[in-house]
Amino acid sequence: MSSESVRDRWLSIGMSVLLHGSLVALLALGWWHFRNSPGPAPSLPINATVVDARTLKGVGTAPTPAPQSKPAPPQAQPPQATPPPPVTQPEGPPPPTPDELAMREQAAKEEARHEAEAQQQLLARQQAREAREEAQRQAEAQAAAQAAAAKKAAQAEEAAQARKLAEAKKLEARKKAAAAKLAAEKKAAEQRKLAEEKKLAEERAAAERAARVADLQQSLQEDERAAAASGALASWQSEITSRIQNAWIKPPTAQPGIECVLNVSLVPGGSVTGVSLGRCNGDAAVRQSIQTAVYNASPLPPPPNGIPFPRQLIIIFKPTH
Amino acid sequence: MKPTPRVAPLLRIFLVVLTAAWLASPAQAQLQIQITSGVTNPVPIAVVPFAESPTDGTDVADVIQHDLAGSGRFTALPRNKMPATPTSAAQVKFTDWKAAGSDYMVVGQVVPLPGGQLAVDFNLLNTLTGQSIARQRFTGSAAALRNAAHRVSDVIYQTITGIRGAFATRIAYVAVAGEGADQRFQLVIADADGYNQHLILESRFPIMSPAWSPDGQWIAYVSFENHLSAVYVQRVQSGQRTCVSMRAGINGAPAWSPDGRKLAITLSGDSGHPQIYLLDLSNQHLTRLTDSPSINTEAAWSPDGRYIYFTSDRAGEPQIYRIGATPGSPTQRITFTDEYNAGPHVSPDGKLLAMVTRDDSGHYRIGVQNLATGDFRVLTNGRIDQSPSFAPNSATIMYAERPGQGQAGILATISVDGLTGLSLKPTKGEVRDPAWGPFIQ
Repeated sequence: MSSESVRDRWLSIGMSVLLHGSLVALLALGWWHFRNSPGPAPSLPINATVVDARTLKGVGTAPTPAPQSKPAPPQAQPPQATPPPPVTQPEGPPPPTPDELAMREQAAKEEARHEAEAQQQLLARQQAREAREEAQRQAEAQAAAQAAAAKKAAQAEEAAQARKLAEAKKLEARKKAAAAKLAAEKKAAEQRKLAEEKKLAEERAAAERAARVADLQQSLQEDERAAAASGALASWQSEITSRIQNAWIKPPTAQPGIECVLNVSLVPGGSVTGVSLGRCNGDAAVRQSIQTAVYNASPLPPPPNGIPFPRQLIIIFKPTH
Repeated sequence: MKPTPRVAPLLRIFLVVLTAAWLASPAQAQLQIQITSGVTNPVPIAVVPFAESPTDGTDVADVIQHDLAGSGRFTALPRNKMPATPTSAAQVKFTDWKAAGSDYMVVGQVVPLPGGQLAVDFNLLNTLTGQSIARQRFTGSAAALRNAAHRVSDVIYQTITGIRGAFATRIAYVAVAGEGADQRFQLVIADADGYNQHLILESRFPIMSPAWSPDGQWIAYVSFENHLSAVYVQRVQSGQRTCVSMRAGINGAPAWSPDGRKLAITLSGDSGHPQIYLLDLSNQHLTRLTDSPSINTEAAWSPDGRYIYFTSDRAGEPQIYRIGATPGSPTQRITFTDEYNAGPHVSPDGKLLAMVTRDDSGHYRIGVQNLATGDFRVLTNGRIDQSPSFAPNSATIMYAERPGQGQAGILATISVDGLTGLSLKPTKGEVRDPAWGPFIQ
């Protein structure tokens, strides 16, 4: 960015600040008027004056907000028939006298003269500023031209260096490409080897997995068979128990506390071939009754799943009631 | 390969071991079965007719069969279904009897002995094992043949049920014969099955409440033979008798103490309120037990001699109470079921209390209360069942049954479980007040 444009920008900022300040001042003045006005009585005199923009032409074109912000000088307005404004109201003076009018005209002229002087001073300051800015612009242009020449030289040198570098890089790239090709070939070979190894490993793993699954399935099947055999076994035992209990005509002396053990011999087919009494705290009637019960329950129901009949069976008679 | 997880390794191991054990070493591996209950069915038995002998016509096997079947614990194979008539174990083909459904069978013979005596030999066989489980000989006169048969029944009963048989025991009862001016009251002793009756007292006046002494040698009873009630004790064998109480008012309901030294009797004196007294038979000393302005009667001893059970209407309706057998003991009410409970009799084993109970239908029936638990059940279903008396083995109760209005009373038995009842041999006239005697030593 050139210094000129910087200056322009600061000028614009300053003018903008000035304009905004004028607007704020006008707003503040308006607000002050509003606060101090007697209210919205329709009979209030309007103290503003309509000013034609053309009347301001001779004053100056500079957008100085100050003259506009000033309240318009009181105009000769006929007094209103409506009640007079409150005494406290600064506005609404009594109608001016001819002397006052003369004094006001004089003051206006004086003010106009001051303003013209001020405008002239402002113009002079602006011209001086523009001259300074022009000089600065020229200096900057010269400096820029020098800088551009220097830059051009530097760019030429840089281009030469870049060319050298590019050639070096090209050479290096060729070398690298050759090396990369070699490496790629080596890597490809390694990858092929790895892939083969991986494939072999996967095949091995799959085989192992399949074997495990087969083994697990076999195990599960065995467990299922075992569970089924267990259920069938329990069922068979229950059948034997039920059969003997139904055959046992319990004598009155077979009371809780009695416990007798019978060793029962069986033949394939489940027929009871022999009964021998083990320990027994029952009387003769109990002993007779349990032996008779076992013989009456013969043949016993066959075991499940082709399991052969046990040759021996221990039956414990232990009445609970 | 890694070990594969097992779902139920312990179960598998157990079963594998079990199965392997069966297969590999059947002689040593044994499966255990536990039996905790049985059935209460009657035991099937066959009593094969005994070998004939010159007797008075007594069918020993029939007496035995009647005894066993009448107890409710046996069911006898009818003779027409018997596969054979062996009279000794050697003649028995067990498979035939097993096939006929008999677990046990009795074979025997009556053998005449020198001097006119007879011997009854019997053999109780288990048809399933083929073993002889009881065999014995009873000897006696021809007149005692029935008694010998009852003794065989006793042995069989005890061998198979474990309970002592009470077939070879006696009963006493009162029979009423004739009508009007010819009416006679008789005190009768008979076998437990009602046979072999012996009259030990006859009177034109009422005889009531016979009671056996614990040794079975004496009977106490109430007789109105002097127009007034009086308590007598009479020796069964000789007929010798003694009046032990003929006091003013009521003299009634004698009951022997278990030691045989005292009688519990009911006396009203002049008060009109019958009370329970203890009468010491050795010195006639009288001790009053109850003291209640109500009727207190029908004393029954507990087998241990510590308590007297009796009937009292002190609560309005007759109920059964218990009082200690020493003066001043507290009284405790025992029965609460039904409005009428009377005539207590304690089982010789001390477990049950039999009584006459009036049920909701207004009928008088024999009920039994478990003295330990208080459980009560009605055993009979007659209209007027009275005078319960336990067999000495506590398994059966004898009672008097009046089938209907105007019908003569008969004697009947009922098993204490209420399953089997039996009416005794019919007699002429009415029978009442049965008393089951003790075991005969």
